Amino acid sequence: MHLFLTYTIFGLVLGGVYAIAASGLVLTYNTSGIFNFAHGAEAMLGAFVYWELRYGWGLPAPVALILVLGVFGPLMGGVLYLVIMRGLRETAEVTKVVVTVALMLGMLYLSEWFWNPQKDRTVVQFFGITSQVKIFGAEVSTHEIIALGCAVLIGLGLRMFFYRFRIGVAMRGAVDDPGLLQLNGHNPERVAALSWAMGSFLAVLAGVLLPPISGGALQANALTLLVLDAFAAAVFGRLRSIPRTFVGALILGLAASYVLAYFPKTWQWASNFRVSLPMIVLFVVLIVLPQDRLRGATVARTRERAHVPSMRSALIAAVGLLAVVILLRQLMNDSDITTLTVGMTFAVIALSLTLLSGYAGEMNLAAVSFGAIATMIAFHIGITGHGLASRMTLWGIVVGVAITALVGAVVSLPALRLRGLYLGLATMAFGVFLTDMVLMDSNLHKLPLFHTKFSLFSAGAGINSLVIPPLKVGPLDLHDGTSFLVTSTIVFAVIGIGLVALRNSSYGRRLTAMKDSPAASATLGQSLLRLKLSVFMLSAAIAGLGGVMMSMALGSVTPDNFSIFLSLSLLMLTVVAGISYVSGALAGGLLSGVGFSLIVTTFHNLASNHGSVHGLFSFLASFATVSPALIGIGVGRNPSGWVHDMIGNFRTLRTRPWVLAGGAVVEVLLYVLSLTKVLGHWWFAILTFVVLSLLPMVGQMADPEGRRRRAAEVPLEMVGIDSPYDDDLRLTLDRALGIEELAPVPTSRGDRPRTAAAGGGNGRVAPPLSAGVGDAGA
Amino acid sequence: MTAATAPGSAPGPARPIAAGGLPILEMVGVRAGYGPIEVLHGVDLAVPQGSLVALLGPNGGGKTTTLRVCSGLLRVNSGELRVAGRTVNGISAHELARLGICTVPEGRGIFPNLTVRENLWLATGTGVSREQVESMSFDRFPRLGERRNQLAGTMSGGEQQMLAIARALSTQPVVLILDELSMGLAPLVVTALYEAVAELAQSGISVLVAEQFAQTVLPIAQSAAIMLHGRVVRVGAPAEIEEELASAYLGG
Repeated sequence: MHLFLTYTIFGLVLGGVYAIAASGLVLTYNTSGIFNFAHGAEAMLGAFVYWELRYGWGLPAPVALILVLGVFGPLMGGVLYLVIMRGLRETAEVTKVVVTVALMLGMLYLSEWFWNPQKDRTVVQFFGITSQVKIFGAEVSTHEIIALGCAVLIGLGLRMFFYRFRIGVAMRGAVDDPGLLQLNGHNPERVAALSWAMGSFLAVLAGVLLPPISGGALQANALTLLVLDAFAAAVFGRLRSIPRTFVGALILGLAASYVLAYFPKTWQWASNFRVSLPMIVLFVVLIVLPQDRLRGATVARTRERAHVPSMRSALIAAVGLLAVVILLRQLMNDSDITTLTVGMTFAVIALSLTLLSGYAGEMNLAAVSFGAIATMIAFHIGITGHGLASRMTLWGIVVGVAITALVGAVVSLPALRLRGLYLGLATMAFGVFLTDMVLMDSNLHKLPLFHTKFSLFSAGAGINSLVIPPLKVGPLDLHDGTSFLVTSTIVFAVIGIGLVALRNSSYGRRLTAMKDSPAASATLGQSLLRLKLSVFMLSAAIAGLGGVMMSMALGSVTPDNFSIFLSLSLLMLTVVAGISYVSGALAGGLLSGVGFSLIVTTFHNLASNHGSVHGLFSFLASFATVSPALIGIGVGRNPSGWVHDMIGNFRTLRTRPWVLAGGAVVEVLLYVLSLTKVLGHWWFAILTFVVLSLLPMVGQMADPEGRRRRAAEVPLEMVGIDSPYDDDLRLTLDRALGIEELAPVPTSRGDRPRTAAAGGGNGRVAPPLSAGVGDAGA
Repeated sequence: MTAATAPGSAPGPARPIAAGGLPILEMVGVRAGYGPIEVLHGVDLAVPQGSLVALLGPNGGGKTTTLRVCSGLLRVNSGELRVAGRTVNGISAHELARLGICTVPEGRGIFPNLTVRENLWLATGTGVSREQVESMSFDRFPRLGERRNQLAGTMSGGEQQMLAIARALSTQPVVLILDELSMGLAPLVVTALYEAVAELAQSGISVLVAEQFAQTVLPIAQSAAIMLHGRVVRVGAPAEIEEELASAYLGG
């Protein structure tokens, strides 16, 4: 009884802190429509700032609390809204997710930059550990009572705020219609900024209260993942209801506490189970949640634009990519080749995101985790031979990929019934569950019936890693680095072409229809169920294939190779590069697979080699770790991705072929210099980057008229949609319709100035269609 | 509020447009649009103090865009928007609302996930108390009083429109802007709503109404304007405008 009471109180306190965190999450989601993945990171930053003030600077606790809760928390939220979140209106759900994920990663890197993670930091309970009260014989610390009190106060306070105060009612109104709120004399910007300030305050409060309860150690990763407990609690209230969120949080807290109390210590998986409990709860709740109605009004009117490439250009691009990779290979040593191969396999995983998010508008926050499944299967059934002669069989890869597709079907279960964000949450729950529970399992298990022993993720002797030899089938032997690189490039190219073909097929059009308006798509007789299931399985299979190849390229993998943060940063960089394009997947995959780690290592090496400017280089290294997050945050400004922009810029050069030719000559020269070792590899990379980015600008300077001509190159059916409908376009339309030669039709008011003729400025007589469009019915 | 005339009474004598003195709301050569697409190509329109102006015209003529400019939801690209003679270009919608320009937007201008009372409370941003807002609205539309704690989204279309108008009126506006009040409603409901609007106009509030169905609004208007292709092509007394409507709609 005593044990039960102690752990019940502990569970309630834990649940109370979860509730504080979760209510902040629900608050911001409901007032701004942005689901804040960085909520836990805000709590983490708050906890670290509190530690710095309280123990670093030695301020008294009340002063530190006032500064953290009263100034830092609200300020952080308000600034985040004004600087970042405000720009996210009318963007796709995946863009919003990516921006907050980027923010989360950025805050995590930032905290590691300021507060060295190797150093131990502890936060002591308020009024010390010895300050306790006895409740029915159970000892409860003052800190726990304070935490519980805060939770109760905040629960009641929020309830009152939302239903009794005008600004609270206005916050709820802002969800329905911010424009209408404005017509009633409220400033929606202020309402949203206030809600972000409050959300951030609640996160920081939870961050300050939690560490002393759960041991006192301050760990950035653990606190950042507090957001998952908050998610789990929030889905109880369907991300809307704060009272139900509180109930969910209490259930979670109590469950975690009872597992701690009553699970036998001999169950080795119990501690892993306790960690992944929120994930399991999240997943189960998502599956049993009542179905969301299809809403007709939610046609996605977003700022993202994507053109559909033709098969011809896809084939040309594939051949070009292969040629570039083979040329680059000549410049590289063996370790570089392996690095590029790993990057290419990441690009394959990124292709699964292009299909799922770019084409179908669904979300997968744990793409790399699907790679882990395929890797595990392939490890257990696909390897033959021993020692150096061991090799992966094609059979192992095929079965691994097939089973990954089936697992994908299971994971997408919540999505079949719910909307995009829920699928994102379900996949994230799956990813964290997999790394915490399955991949950590290095113990031997016995199958009772078959008398065989196996372990899920161990090469034996309890070591938590797998050794994956490369594939050898017929004449193809991937033990050789060059053939592996070329093979992975070909795999990428083939799947890429396949995706373009798929996008151009009727299946691709159905996917796009589902993305734009599920309701309209359903009323046209599409089975959304079949579409979602099939696209998710296909995407999981691609991710699985990429994952096995990545494991083979690395040779030996640990759970860290499949961490959720890796999946998140892959998704982020792919979205930044342009998730609707195969080229975006290539850039995103290469960047997250090799790009930034290379840059960071380079700066670290430079820092240790050059003692005098050590500080500068280590600053640059730290900055380079944060930079992907900064880029991710920037995606709100350009949600279609930069790769597409770059290609668009190069398109303008078509009119000035000599600029292109000049660029090509410079590039060939650089390549030859690098091949003959006159030029270092890094210089080659940097100069190539400079040439590529400067070329469109050179073209622009040399040919100021080019912009005009570029406008005329917009496909006719996109005129007025993708680009402004100006007079030049009118002329183009007329020319395309072949009515240039016709005599102008006299309009009822012939004396009116013709806009087309005036705007065109080239002395041409305004063609009849332009006159018709401009003056119809006048 | 001022003593309302008996419901259903004929509207008061049409006041001459210019005689009302200063126009309370005025657009001069306004050009505006969405992104690169210009919709209004120089609109001139004046709403004299205390009169009801009907804005007529076919679909796509620019009526809603004109009203969006008047309510501050859309920026003026060139030209001037004036309130009581003062240029207010670039002012934001909530500031304009606090100046007394109150808009009931197209469709249902309500917050569906708030209750009727909460919808009304949101009108208190302009300095009226909650009790005042509630009593004024429930007096005018007793039906709303019966449903005060119901979610607004669960009411019928007519009731939702009632709520929108009730909330607009309780702010005691100087100018009331109504967009397509009749949209999706039964003719009987529309007639009842416009009767309420006519009473308002008589009590001294200036009203600007955009409406596709001219017959419903012309009888209560003091003046009317026809919009076509982003321009006001004709302004006049309701009787004159009625004769020209057919040609305007048919593009003659």
